[in-house]
Amino acid sequence: MSREIDRREFFRNSGASLLTVGAALYPRDSESLPTAESPANPETPGDYKVKWYEFTEHKISDTCWSLSVGPDGRIYAAACAEGVPGGVVKVVRYNEAKDGLDYLFAVDKMVDDPGTSGRATQCKIHYSFVPSMHDGILYMATHLSGPPIDQPAYSPWLSWHDEKRCFRGSALLAFDTRTDDVKWWETMIPKEGCRCLLHDEERGLLYAISYPRDHFIIFDLKTRKHRDVGRLGSINSQTLFLDKKHRGWTTNDYGHLVRYDPEKDRLEMSPFVLPHNAEFQTGWHSVFYDVAPSPDRECVYAVTWIANSYLMRIWPNEGEWPRVEDLGPATQKRDPTVSVDTFVDHCGGLTFAGDGQLYFVASRWRDPVYNPMGPEHKEREGVVWRLNPATLEKEEVTCLVHPRELAQYVSRGAVDHNGDLFFGHVGARPSGIFKVEMPASRKKENAHLPIRMWG
Amino acid sequence: MDEKKPKIDFNSPAVQQEMDQIVHGTFVKQGTMVAFPTGFPGATIPILADESHITALDTSLQGFVYGGTSGKRSHVFVGMFHGVTGMVFDMKAVEAATHCPAVCCGKANFLACVNGPSGGGRILASKLQPWPYDLIQEWGFQRPHFEDLGECAAGEPIVHAVADVSRDHAVGVTTHHLFSVDMAAPKIQVVAEVSGSGRLAVGSKGCILGPNGAGRLWRFDQKTRNLERQAFKLPAGRWEKSPGVWARVGQSGLLYTADDDGQLFSFDEQRGFSASLGKTMLAPVTCMAATFDGRVFGSCGSGIAKMFCYDPARREVTNIGVAVSLFERRRYGYVFGDAVTGRDGEIIFGEDDDGGHLWLYFPRIQPASA
Repeated sequence: MSREIDRREFFRNSGASLLTVGAALYPRDSESLPTAESPANPETPGDYKVKWYEFTEHKISDTCWSLSVGPDGRIYAAACAEGVPGGVVKVVRYNEAKDGLDYLFAVDKMVDDPGTSGRATQCKIHYSFVPSMHDGILYMATHLSGPPIDQPAYSPWLSWHDEKRCFRGSALLAFDTRTDDVKWWETMIPKEGCRCLLHDEERGLLYAISYPRDHFIIFDLKTRKHRDVGRLGSINSQTLFLDKKHRGWTTNDYGHLVRYDPEKDRLEMSPFVLPHNAEFQTGWHSVFYDVAPSPDRECVYAVTWIANSYLMRIWPNEGEWPRVEDLGPATQKRDPTVSVDTFVDHCGGLTFAGDGQLYFVASRWRDPVYNPMGPEHKEREGVVWRLNPATLEKEEVTCLVHPRELAQYVSRGAVDHNGDLFFGHVGARPSGIFKVEMPASRKKENAHLPIRMWG
Repeated sequence: MDEKKPKIDFNSPAVQQEMDQIVHGTFVKQGTMVAFPTGFPGATIPILADESHITALDTSLQGFVYGGTSGKRSHVFVGMFHGVTGMVFDMKAVEAATHCPAVCCGKANFLACVNGPSGGGRILASKLQPWPYDLIQEWGFQRPHFEDLGECAAGEPIVHAVADVSRDHAVGVTTHHLFSVDMAAPKIQVVAEVSGSGRLAVGSKGCILGPNGAGRLWRFDQKTRNLERQAFKLPAGRWEKSPGVWARVGQSGLLYTADDDGQLFSFDEQRGFSASLGKTMLAPVTCMAATFDGRVFGSCGSGIAKMFCYDPARREVTNIGVAVSLFERRRYGYVFGDAVTGRDGEIIFGEDDDGGHLWLYFPRIQPASA
């Protein structure tokens, strides 16, 4: 039976864990880390090779919340350090020539907000890489939660009015992927973090959701000013997406779609509740976790951030309110009388690949009643699924394998210009990313296009 | 950072306790808050999020809570939380109104003051709602008729209004005029020119008090229609924006107010203002109300407000923490626009935010020795 872990323990056990149970689990500084390749999947032997890339040059990193493809077709990831007092995020990029990671910069230095400031730190980038195709910029916005260097934890509610401790604000950086320079940065949301980001490139606007106040923010890239449109609720949706009418979509606390319509300059709420498990849920907390656009941009595929996440297909360009197709739960059955840990029961990493199929990672865990997996399985696994949009058939293609830790939690996924899959991992220290090499038959040049415009 | 070993021992009980305190000790530290949506849960949707900033509250003699919202459009509602009720009835969406500065309950009728982007503030009047039938079993609601009493003073927004102690009249101010309304046969009467610069209060002797914007309070006696223009001098403090807030102890009529810096003062019509009683942790104080034992509860600070308690027995201000509701709705509360005392001494806060809720605060029961 999987063990319950709360967020605090999660970070202690995943990175933070290793602070106390022994540095011996880490390789020494001079040692290179082994990479792991998955055993051949019995259904598709050898077709999908999995490789782990650890953030070896940011050893205190404990999460990778953001992983996106840049406007240059390369993979960018955030090596976040939120569990360590004073921890900061570093931006990395997958280097295909050396089959490794390049460490581009530490964000705290770029935005003049060092991890030693005594404030809550620039510790992570949370679903907030967004490309700008016309000029090769990758925008990124920081998020909070990492404690000040001399505090064991940080509460943005507690420290809101505390000038010494309060997070300075979400820093927006414009990173030029052509020159590898940060062209400029600006505090996008004072005192708050950016939970997720979207770029409406035609209109030069960024849409963001703030944390902790859960406000919908618009940042004008021309004037570099932000505007607060209003509060959504208490639970951040983890994704925004854009439709053809330039409307920004997200969700509220009760599992309703919420959209910002620029024509009305107003947040509107759908009367309908998104698919959820009616056996033990009401729709509360069924906020978006991840949303991937279909290649033709007519619909999106989404999963929710709640136990037994539901997969759904949404047609935002149809009707007054979109048609929502319930594609069922992404994770396994369970005992409904106990809540499964958020970090165990999870689905994320939705992305379309060059073969026109949707890929995502859903967790699977050993449960003596509902899923008594054999010893050939790990306690918890991150299963890479492929969904055929034409038939809605779902097929398991491989499992993510980490050299030491369990790998059930994936934040984001993306496909690079070569057509290979990448996934950000949460649950190890140092954190890192997975590459899933696609079979040659499923690869395509510029598989990342048309590019996803949200984190 | 990579090379630095954290000096904090996360396994130590003291650090774990500190973490728990940072995370949980931030929120309501005494008593219980319940956020109730502006609708009938399970039967209606709440008022639209950007029309639901609750900025005005009053209670009727039967214990119902009447309120008004601000935002893209104002609404007038009534909340019922006793007997077999448990709902908020959105009685009217007021077209061309975006701000509700006051709601006043009479014996049979109530008034809602509303302002719009243009023109002067208007008053709408309607009958108080009767008790419904059992809201667990079956019910029927019809939106009531509202009489539009028109503008109080042409082109002037209403600043505030209160019902007098008898509940026979309401007295209010626009930006330049004092007015009264007979609650039984609602009609607006302009009384005099005054500078309406802040909220009004009912004094311990039943007179209506209001700031004149120049460091003094005027006093209006509804019975005699006498207006004293410079009746009381505000105590030493910073009063550029106020008094913007009052709380009244029902039994004694003692008033409390706060200056711009959160300094608390009590006020009695006979004795005048007290010296400073203490200071809230943050400023401004946005609203407050007193419970039956004299304790005053309120909200202070912008962005993310903190709740406070002033205990006159101990003469101390306590930080109660950030509002959070775990019952009915799981929600953080950041901005509160008005507060009233409920039937049993609970404090009802109106959330002045998108998706605003009525927050019922049940104070901690005091130990017998207190």
